[in-house]
Amino acid sequence: MMVSMNSETSRQIARGIAGALLLAAIWELSARGLKLPAYVLPSVSSILSGMVSDAGNLFAAAQFTAAEALAGYAVGCLIGMAAAVLITMIPAARAVVLPLATAINSVPVVAYSPLVLLWFGMGMASKIVMVAIAVSFTIFLSTIAGLDRVDRRSVDLIRSFGASRLAVLWRLRLPTALPLIIAGMRVSTVRSVLVAIVTEMLGAYGGLGWVIYQAVLQIDFVKVWAAIIVASAISLAFFGAISFIERRYVFWK
Amino acid sequence: MSSTAKLEPQEPIGAYAAERPLIELRNVSKTFGSVKALSDLEVAIQPGELVTVVGPSGCGKSTLFNILAGLEEPDPGNILRLKGKSSSASDLLGKVSFMPQRDLLLPWRNVIDNAILALEVEGMSRTEARKQAREMLPEFGLAGFEAQYPNQLSGGMRQRVALMRTFLFKRDLMLLDEPFGALDALTRTMMQRWLLDVWQKHKRTVLFITHDVDEAIFLGDRVLVMTARPGKVKLEQVVDLPRPRKADIVTSSEFIALKKTLLEAIEEESMKSFQVSGH
Ligand SMILES: Nc1ncnc2c1ncn2[C@@H]1O[C@H](COP(=O)(O)OP(=O)(O)OP(=O)(O)O)[C@@H](O)[C@H]1O
Ligand SMILES: [Mg+2]
Repeated sequence: MMVSMNSETSRQIARGIAGALLLAAIWELSARGLKLPAYVLPSVSSILSGMVSDAGNLFAAAQFTAAEALAGYAVGCLIGMAAAVLITMIPAARAVVLPLATAINSVPVVAYSPLVLLWFGMGMASKIVMVAIAVSFTIFLSTIAGLDRVDRRSVDLIRSFGASRLAVLWRLRLPTALPLIIAGMRVSTVRSVLVAIVTEMLGAYGGLGWVIYQAVLQIDFVKVWAAIIVASAISLAFFGAISFIERRYVFWK
Repeated sequence: MSSTAKLEPQEPIGAYAAERPLIELRNVSKTFGSVKALSDLEVAIQPGELVTVVGPSGCGKSTLFNILAGLEEPDPGNILRLKGKSSSASDLLGKVSFMPQRDLLLPWRNVIDNAILALEVEGMSRTEARKQAREMLPEFGLAGFEAQYPNQLSGGMRQRVALMRTFLFKRDLMLLDEPFGALDALTRTMMQRWLLDVWQKHKRTVLFITHDVDEAIFLGDRVLVMTARPGKVKLEQVVDLPRPRKADIVTSSEFIALKKTLLEAIEEESMKSFQVSGH
């Protein structure tokens, strides 16, 4: 079981790398062959050499963005799960909160960024808050959906053992919800990096989004692409890490 | 304990006056909206008895179990006594070991951890609970399977895990709702014999629902036949067959005579339930 999973995973990774290489080759050929100007599409080789020469700078920016995304992600996951558990324990609140949450979640979070920048300033705090908002709604909704999947008969069984509401939650509802919670967490990884970068573009003192914004002002498109590639790498690594945890610990279903 | 027993009103207990029943139900009815599932049900179970329950599908057998497990409150006006003490159904939560119609094993727990679910809920430490469960594994034919997950087990094994979970929750009354219903005939016969062994060893009071008359007679000290919905007890048949019972007892003339009586009673009720649902 574990073996087949691992070989499937490695096959997926191999396919992903092959695809990326193919894309890079086509990109390089068309950028050179068609002699595209750098502001349309710089060649892969020029981006890579740009990354190497600017490595220190990019690394610092990447660290900055990753820290914001991770902190916001952690806070968002905690808030989302806690709110979902609370709502499930207080059914009366649910009828009010759930439609509201769905409505708020349907507006792109970026719409709130000017307000958040105003309230929390240009530093890291505003990015963390934005990421936390984006992540918490996703996790909230997926946790609610997960908690609702519990089988009434299983609840009855564990109640017949004398389980309190808290015991039902801990031993039955949360484990039942886990596959959906972690699926929400996986989707949120990419979203957290994205939101951190977009918010940085709107006002920041550092980070990949800030690098991109500055590079655009300086008409340095190689640098723009270099930052984008670093950002994708962070997203991918984050996504991969959560997927790994998911495969490892949510082995049922 | 004895002082509270004295305060209880002394009522005639009827046919089973010899011993005080472990559990006693009188005037128990249960209505779901417009459906009357149980009507004036009367049951008394003596300590150590193995009582089997048969009846047409939908006559309220599982509803009776849900009441006894404390999960469902009967309509007002009922009398429900556990060891002579009047109780409401919800008082029975945590006092009866209940095995529902489905095994309901938790897919994220392996065999041993599924078996100790009730013990954990009771607050026993995992180490201690696992130790107790491990000692029981061979008896339940699960030795060597403790680390397997439910999706790796056969139907018979899953059922044994569910039974082990029920046995480990040591309560005087055990409710088994069609525990062997989903098994093939051969496995089922094995499990019946095995259950009798385990029951004789552990001396627990068991209420056992089944659709199989042979099973009801083979296992039971008494067989309760329920009427079509709304369910009540139509017939209480004492099974006088000696124990321990061998597999070939099913061919004895006493067994066949009992089977005939019971089948007639069940047949009558099944016809009724078909007529009712036909309208
Ligand atoms: N929670 C409920 N809500 C509404 N109706 C219910 C509920 N539980 C049971 N019923 C109804 O009560 C009746 C008795 O159901 P019950 O499950 O007790 O039957 P049963 O004798 O166990 O049947 P089977 O042999 O098929 O398992 C059925 O008509 C059923 O639809
Ligand atoms: Mg039933």
